[in-house]
Amino acid sequence: MTTANDVLNALESAFPGAIQDAKVKFERQLWATVKPDKIVDVCKYLTNNHDFDHYSGAAGVDRIDEGLFEVTEMLASHGAHQVVALLKVQTPRDKPSVKSLTGLYWNANWYEREIWEMLGINFEGHPELYPLLLTDGLMGAWPWRKDFKGYPDYTTGERAVEMLSSDGYSEYKIGPMDAEVESGAYPYEKPEYPTFREREEAEIKSESEMIFHMGPQHAVVPGPFLLDLLVDGERVRKAFLDIGYIHKGIEKIMENRTYMQGIPITDRLCYMAALSNNESYCGSVERLLGIEAPERAQYIRVITQELSRIQSHLLGTAEFLTLIASAVYSPFLYMIIDREDVLTLIESVTGARINHSFVRFGGVRNDLPDGFAEKTKPVLKMVREKTEEYKELFLSDSIYRKRMEGIGVLSPSEARRLGVSGPPLRASDTSYDMRREDPYLLYKDLDFDVITRKEGDSKARVEVRLDEILESCYIIEQCLDQIPEGSIQEKLPKRIKPEPGEAYYRVEDPRGEMGFFVVSDGSDKPVKVKARGPVYAYFQALPPLLEGVYIADVVAIAGSMDSCTSEVDR
Amino acid sequence: MVFSAITEFAAQEPKLYAFMLGLVGAAILASVINVAAMAVVWLERKVMGDLQARYGPNRVGGRWGILQLGADAIKLFTKEDIIPRGADRPVYVWAPIIASATTMLVAAAIPFGAVNIGGKEIPLVVANMDISAFYVEAVLSIMAIAAFMAGWSSNNKYSMLGAFRGVARMISYEVPMGICVISVAIMAHSLNLVEIVQSQTIWYAVAQPLGFVIFTIALITDLGRMPFDQSEGEEEIVAGYVTEYGGIRFGLLYFQEYNSMLLGSILLVLLYLGGWNGPTIPVISFISPMVWFLMKVLIVLVSLIWIRVSLVRFRIDQVTDLGWKWMLPLSMVNLAWAVAVGLYFA
Repeated sequence: MTTANDVLNALESAFPGAIQDAKVKFERQLWATVKPDKIVDVCKYLTNNHDFDHYSGAAGVDRIDEGLFEVTEMLASHGAHQVVALLKVQTPRDKPSVKSLTGLYWNANWYEREIWEMLGINFEGHPELYPLLLTDGLMGAWPWRKDFKGYPDYTTGERAVEMLSSDGYSEYKIGPMDAEVESGAYPYEKPEYPTFREREEAEIKSESEMIFHMGPQHAVVPGPFLLDLLVDGERVRKAFLDIGYIHKGIEKIMENRTYMQGIPITDRLCYMAALSNNESYCGSVERLLGIEAPERAQYIRVITQELSRIQSHLLGTAEFLTLIASAVYSPFLYMIIDREDVLTLIESVTGARINHSFVRFGGVRNDLPDGFAEKTKPVLKMVREKTEEYKELFLSDSIYRKRMEGIGVLSPSEARRLGVSGPPLRASDTSYDMRREDPYLLYKDLDFDVITRKEGDSKARVEVRLDEILESCYIIEQCLDQIPEGSIQEKLPKRIKPEPGEAYYRVEDPRGEMGFFVVSDGSDKPVKVKARGPVYAYFQALPPLLEGVYIADVVAIAGSMDSCTSEVDR
Repeated sequence: MVFSAITEFAAQEPKLYAFMLGLVGAAILASVINVAAMAVVWLERKVMGDLQARYGPNRVGGRWGILQLGADAIKLFTKEDIIPRGADRPVYVWAPIIASATTMLVAAAIPFGAVNIGGKEIPLVVANMDISAFYVEAVLSIMAIAAFMAGWSSNNKYSMLGAFRGVARMISYEVPMGICVISVAIMAHSLNLVEIVQSQTIWYAVAQPLGFVIFTIALITDLGRMPFDQSEGEEEIVAGYVTEYGGIRFGLLYFQEYNSMLLGSILLVLLYLGGWNGPTIPVISFISPMVWFLMKVLIVLVSLIWIRVSLVRFRIDQVTDLGWKWMLPLSMVNLAWAVAVGLYFA
């Protein structure tokens, strides 16, 4: 199997002089700085010759002391090997511009748009550089830059300007005042682009078509996002997705907190997967610190994270079945009762039901309570029986199947191209699971199957989730039998100051590939934190998936992805 | 004293007397139907609660939550009456009124059971028409027009799609439903609902099992209940044609649904389940037919609620597909069966 060193040697011989500071870190990660004009060629070479067909994400770092912006492209492979390539491209701060990878990787689109709107780095060759998370009024101030002073305070409402639209409705403009821009108190270079509304209205071709809004507030969306469908009767011709309605700026907030203070913030990325988010962030900082958690702590982490996976999958399946079954949410009510028992178990360990903040750098916050194994086993037995029952109840019923089978089919190649991960990718016959592909904690020693399905439709995605619940039960039982006595926390200094450097750590969130990219400069606060979430990738893949389906199927497709808007917007 | 005054008045002014009697009858009918519909709403919420492992209403009016609906009705009456800017005002205002008036028109021709006086069954019906089965079928389809008026006039995309779906669904299921009624009429040699009940020595559900199944499915579709409530699919089109309605206008549309659910269940019992026929219960022989009738209606209602809780909604194309490709041919088969059986016994 290809190792990181093989790839490094091949790269250096293929592109002499273009690769600088190349090194292999954390066994499987290849870090290198690539000359800006060579980045597309290097990525093309890696994709064609070394199967780097998975674009995992990109992070933009403001190196203000060196007068540079740095974009880190993260590449991996769908199962051909376990190497992750992290290629850095540098560009001067005064006129930042980087070549776009959208021609090579379809899903680079959103990651590059985000870096553009937040840092102001232009991506040459990007087909649609429009704002993604920010509203039009906030564009042009580049909030992720280190010299960003903050937006004017609009919380009191005094600064928002009321304008009357042509229809007679009040609208509020929240851009900076003209005087502020002129005086230079507010750095502002407003880019030119068509707004979201102009873009979607330009697509209306005939009288019988109309824009059908789902969101930002809609009866059943899991959080605020805008899904606009261009429909012709009941058929969707094109879908437009606008996110950023609950953008919280988590990554920027974490740059202004110490490393420890970042942990509770990662909970808020997605309340359904708080433990995985903790794990991903802590794992990344552990790599920066060069430590590893003691064995008992690793077992506790695996147990709690698998329990968390069970409850997340139960709720995800329940939500999906509710979406096709409408107001009579019987499946939801049944599953939420079972989830309650699992949550109680998690609560007995972490002390919290939703926002745990449980994982620590080099350990966990506290040990398992007395008699935990005895309390857990009956719950696992119950979960197993109920899961089997749900499979029988909901997946074999002919009317349920009518709404799930053959709906939103993602072929394996299409799923990889769109960059989805987690259950939707595994339902498309691709065995890609971080617990196997990028093994962390104890997963390489544990016995479990990666569940896959061949069909790639909504039903397959639900089946994968339900089967993964059974696998998780099995993993927890193994851990409970094997867990050794010992310490649960590595010795750490009071103030955590990692060595300067970068680290990337991926975990298998209940929804897919969750990665944290943390950059340290030796101080007690991170220079940059980038959360690469799985739902962000699903959302990006939604519009092409929704073309040509019925309106009723839109919810059956979007619901089967198990979305969480909070994590998309961060 | 009062009675003699009334009979005197009736002798002097027979036409006026008949008119006033009709008004009193209509008032009684309207109140009974609406109170019964409220009971159906309560039943649905309670049964749904039990089927979904929760309580349902249990605060207002004791542990059974009996007064919950009164509270809801008061809330709906006292809410602000909003008519959206851009709505087609007269159509918007009239749609709920037409919808609830339709159920009243249907109710006038439907027998609500019977009482047994001296061994003679007297059906409780306001207007005992010779063509009542046909009349009920015809008037029920006005409901779709009211729903379409509501959806169209709201000037809302969700409402309009809901209205389109409602009409598409109605067109594809009225035909098999009508053919089923014709099959029953052929066997009963009558279109009068009372005579249809009286002719059922064996239930038509047994004599025409296929027709029973088709009629039940078509009825659920006509009522717009799960799994055929595409016209108000919550997660796609918010609330369909009622999206823009609020306050008592919404209340009228809402009650209309439960009125028609009640009337539909009664129709099913009358046409296929032998109406109030049943062995006489000794002690309470006076209301024995009524007991049988109510029991059957209750079973049908609970089954409808059970179906609603258990199943998911069809997509609109699947509904029309089922209607035209399966229900219509099968209802024709049922018609042929009814004719053949009718000829054999004739």
